[in-house]
Amino acid sequence: MTAVARHPIVVSGYAAVVAALAGLLLAAVAGTAPGDAVNALVEGMAGTPYAIGGSLNSAAVLALIAVGFTVAHRAGLVNVGGEGQLAVGGVAGAAAGLALPESIPAVAGVPVLLIAGFAGGAAWASIAGLLKARRGTSEVITTLLLNFVGLGVLGLAVHEEVFLRQPVTSAETLPQSAPLPAGARLPLIGSAESPATLIVVLAVAAAIVTAVVLRHTATGLRLTSAGFSPAASARLGLPVGRLEAGGLAVAGGLAGTAGACLVATAPYVLAEHFSSGYGFTGLVVGLLARGSLTAVLAVALLFGLLTNGGINLQLAVGVPAATVQIVQSLLVVLVAASLGRKR
Amino acid sequence: MSAIVEEILAGGVRMAAPLLLASAGELVSERAGLLNLSVEAMMLTGAFAGAAGALATGSAVAGVGCAVVAGLLVAALQALLSVTLRADQIVTGITANALALGATTYGARLLFADSGQTLAGFEPLPVPVLSEIPLLGPALFEQSALGYLAFAVAAVLALGLSRRTPWGLAVDAVGEDAVTADRCGLPVRAIRYAAVLLTGAASGLAGAQLALAEVHAFSDNITGGVGYLAVVAVIAGRWRAWPTLLACLFFGVAQALQFAAPAAGLHLPAPVLVTLPYVIALLAVSGLAGRSRAPSALTIPFARTA
Repeated sequence: MTAVARHPIVVSGYAAVVAALAGLLLAAVAGTAPGDAVNALVEGMAGTPYAIGGSLNSAAVLALIAVGFTVAHRAGLVNVGGEGQLAVGGVAGAAAGLALPESIPAVAGVPVLLIAGFAGGAAWASIAGLLKARRGTSEVITTLLLNFVGLGVLGLAVHEEVFLRQPVTSAETLPQSAPLPAGARLPLIGSAESPATLIVVLAVAAAIVTAVVLRHTATGLRLTSAGFSPAASARLGLPVGRLEAGGLAVAGGLAGTAGACLVATAPYVLAEHFSSGYGFTGLVVGLLARGSLTAVLAVALLFGLLTNGGINLQLAVGVPAATVQIVQSLLVVLVAASLGRKR
Repeated sequence: MSAIVEEILAGGVRMAAPLLLASAGELVSERAGLLNLSVEAMMLTGAFAGAAGALATGSAVAGVGCAVVAGLLVAALQALLSVTLRADQIVTGITANALALGATTYGARLLFADSGQTLAGFEPLPVPVLSEIPLLGPALFEQSALGYLAFAVAAVLALGLSRRTPWGLAVDAVGEDAVTADRCGLPVRAIRYAAVLLTGAASGLAGAQLALAEVHAFSDNITGGVGYLAVVAVIAGRWRAWPTLLACLFFGVAQALQFAAPAAGLHLPAPVLVTLPYVIALLAVSGLAGRSRAPSALTIPFARTA
C-alpha cells in the first residue's frame, strides 16, 4: 500500500466505514430498518440537549483516562490499570465528599473532592510505579492485577457499614454510599436541560495542560527521553525510576479524578458498578490516539457519542445495545490490525 | 465440621475445573511469548456456542464440539492479530473480550429469547468406591464426564510443557528468545499459532463446561471474568505448570468459601475473597513471595530481520 493509504487517519476512515456497515447489518438482523436504526442512534448521540450532555460527560471520563495513559506512555509505560485507579479515586472522592459538612459551598467542596480523587488514583498507580522502579516488575501485569484489587476495594467500601455504606435500615437498603452533600456535587455547565458537568471543562483543560507540559517544558522532555531510552537517560543522569513512577502516578491521578467526578454526578452516590468499564475503554482511547492529545479528545468524543447512541438504539427501536459494543470493538480490532505492522 | 470442609473442597474443585483447563491452555501461550488476554473471549464464545449447539441438536456432546470450534475461531483471530499482523497484544486481547461479550449478548437476544429453557447437559458421574473416600472423595470423583475430561486435558497440556518433550522445549525457546529460536531453525510463527490455537480449544472446552456441566443454560457474560482469573493463575503460578495448578485449586476454594462461609456462620466479606487471588498473584509477580520470572519474549512480536 502507498504511504497515503496507510496514514492513520485514512486507516481509521476505512475501519469506521466497515464497522458502521457491520452495525447496520446487525440492526437489520435484529429486525430494524437501517434508516430507523441510524435515526435512533443519532437521536441518542446528539438529538436533544440531554443527549448531547450525556455524550459529553461520557467522552470527558474517557478523555481524562486517555490523557493520563498518554502521559505514562510518554515515559515508556503502558498503564492497563485505569479501571482500578478510577474505582479507588471514586472511593477516595466519596470518602472526602461525605466527610464534608452539609453546608459547605461548592467552591470549597468540589476541589476537595477532586483532589481526593486524584490522590486516591495516584496512590493506587504508585503501587505499580514503585514495584517497577524498585524491582523492575512489569507495569503491564501489576496494573492489570491492581484493577481487580481496586474493584475489590470499591466492593468492600460499599458493602460494609464500617466503610462507606449508608446505614442499613431495612433489607432493601442498597449496597451504596449515602448521597454526597450538595457542596460536593459537580456543578452543571450550559443549559438547564443538559446534564453536562464541570468534568467536560476539566477534561479539555487536562488535555491542553498536558500537551503544553509534554511539548514545551523540561519535565516533558525528560519524560520523553526516559520513554525513548531508559538506559541512555540514566547515563545522562536523569532519575529514570522517578520519572516512570511519576508518569504512572499522573495517569492514575487523572483516572482517579474521573472516578471522583463520576461519583459527584447524578445520582451522587458511590455504588458498586459505577465505573462500568470506563477504565478499559479509556485505555483503548489512549492507544488509538497514539500519543496525540488532539486525537485523544477526538476519539473520546466518538466513543462517548457511540455509547450514548447505543443506549437509545435499544430504548427507541429495540436493537440490542450490545450492537454498539460490537461496532466499537470491531473498529478497534481493525485499527490495531492495520497499524500493528509498523512498529 | 467435616461435612462443611467436604462441601468447600467439592465446590472448590468444581469451580476450579474450567479455570484449570483455561489456565493450562493460557500457560502454553504465555510460555510461547503471547499474553493472551482473550481467554475470556474464548471461554465466553465457547459457552455461547456450546449452549447454541446443544439447543440446536439436543445433544450435549455436539454442543461441546461447537464450543471447541468456537474457541478455535477466536484463537485464530487472536493469533492472526498478534502473530501475523503483530498488533498490540493487550489492546487486541481486551478488545476481543469486549467483542465476544457484545456478540454473545446480541446472539443470546436472538437465540435464547424465551428464557428458562434447560439445555441438554452433563450430569455428575460418581466413580464407585473412590467417591466414598472421606473429604477428598466427593471433591475429586463426583465430576461430570466433562469435568474428568477437563482434568485429563489440563494434565496433558501441563506435562507437554515439560522441557523433556521436544514440544515443551520448542515452546520455551520461542517464548524466551524468538530471534535465536528462529536462527536455530524452529518455525517460530507456526509454534506460536499452535500455542494460541491450543489455548483456544482448551478455553472453548472450559466455556462449554460452564454452560453445560454447571448450569445447563447460557446467560449474558456467563464467564464473568473467569478468563481473566485464568491469566492471573498463570501469573500467580509463576509461569510453571504445577504452581499454576495449585493456584487454580486455591482460587476455586476461595470462590467456594464465598458460598459456604455464611452457612458456617462466618462473616467473610465477599469482596475480600473475590480479590484474594489477585493479591496473591501481585505478591508472586512482584517477587515479594518467592522468585518469579516471566518468559523474556512475553508480548514481544517476532519479525525476522535481515
